[in-house]
Amino acid sequence: MVECVECGADVALHDTAEAGEIVDCTTCGAELEVVERNPPVLDRAPELEEDWGE
Amino acid sequence: MLIGLLYSRIRRDEKLLLQELRDRGHEVAKIDVRKQRFGLTDAPDDLADCDVVVDRCLATSRSLYATKFCEAYGIPVVNSADTAETCADKVQNSLALAGAGVPTPATDVAFTKESAMESIEAFGYPCVLKPVVGSWGRLMAKIDSRSAAEAILEHKATLGHYEHKVFYVQEFVDKPGRDIRVVATDGEPIAAMVRSSDHWLTNAAKGAETAEFELDAEAEQLVKDASDAVGGGLLGIDLMETGDSYTVHEVNHTVEFKALNDAVETDVPAKVVDWLETKAGAKQEVVA
Repeated sequence: MVECVECGADVALHDTAEAGEIVDCTTCGAELEVVERNPPVLDRAPELEEDWGE
Repeated sequence: MLIGLLYSRIRRDEKLLLQELRDRGHEVAKIDVRKQRFGLTDAPDDLADCDVVVDRCLATSRSLYATKFCEAYGIPVVNSADTAETCADKVQNSLALAGAGVPTPATDVAFTKESAMESIEAFGYPCVLKPVVGSWGRLMAKIDSRSAAEAILEHKATLGHYEHKVFYVQEFVDKPGRDIRVVATDGEPIAAMVRSSDHWLTNAAKGAETAEFELDAEAEQLVKDASDAVGGGLLGIDLMETGDSYTVHEVNHTVEFKALNDAVETDVPAKVVDWLETKAGAKQEVVA
């Protein structure tokens, strides 16, 4: 478990979570980026930029 | 062999690739492009030992520069900087396709509201206005009337980044409620799907329904020609059916394939990694 940086609730990460992946806080709905995996660290996910895509 | 995966966000596509690479025993370095500093001569430490780098940057601007730096350092990168440059910009994309004789929707580019309006009126209604850089169907406008055109052009000219003052006007292709996405490696299709929607935009990112699609010989040839036109690589090639033929409207250079992988029997990430192994192997032989 790791703490949501937005609301402080516990966020559970999947075993396969990768640094750079985005997860949702199920309590407040915030989009969070997995910054580090071991130990887990979350930060607010970057806002969508205009040149993002494929 | 060390494979560098250049990223800023790990989407399901990157997770699928990482899983496949690791399952095959490859050494993989995840390289967060946001943490790198690119000098003119020496590669950042994270990149220096990579035998090949796979560009999976989410931001087009970063992809364009990062691939150029990799090549400047002599580090093999897929896709190439030239392919990225051609695919990242819809004007360059259209020019490359048309120049190679690949059927692509009729397109005008204009630099003022007045000349853009002339193009719009010449195409007639509906027609389409697209940003030159962008993805996932964002900021696309289907223009149904002159008054709508005037409003959209004024908004783009007034509120937009300078790139929005490059007006990319295109004929509206009356497709049959779907388009076709093909993921291909150097022109060889891995798999294809149709993306269907009641909306005129049929991007998977917009929620279109997907289903496997079997390419005929003509479509396969167009995929190869479109790939060659932009310099080859791992590409997402988008086609529309025009009744008796196809038109290629776009080629994507950091292609997302999770929706395709869900829609088809083919193991898409496995095929991508097959190709990466071939590319990396070939480049190692050249270096040796």
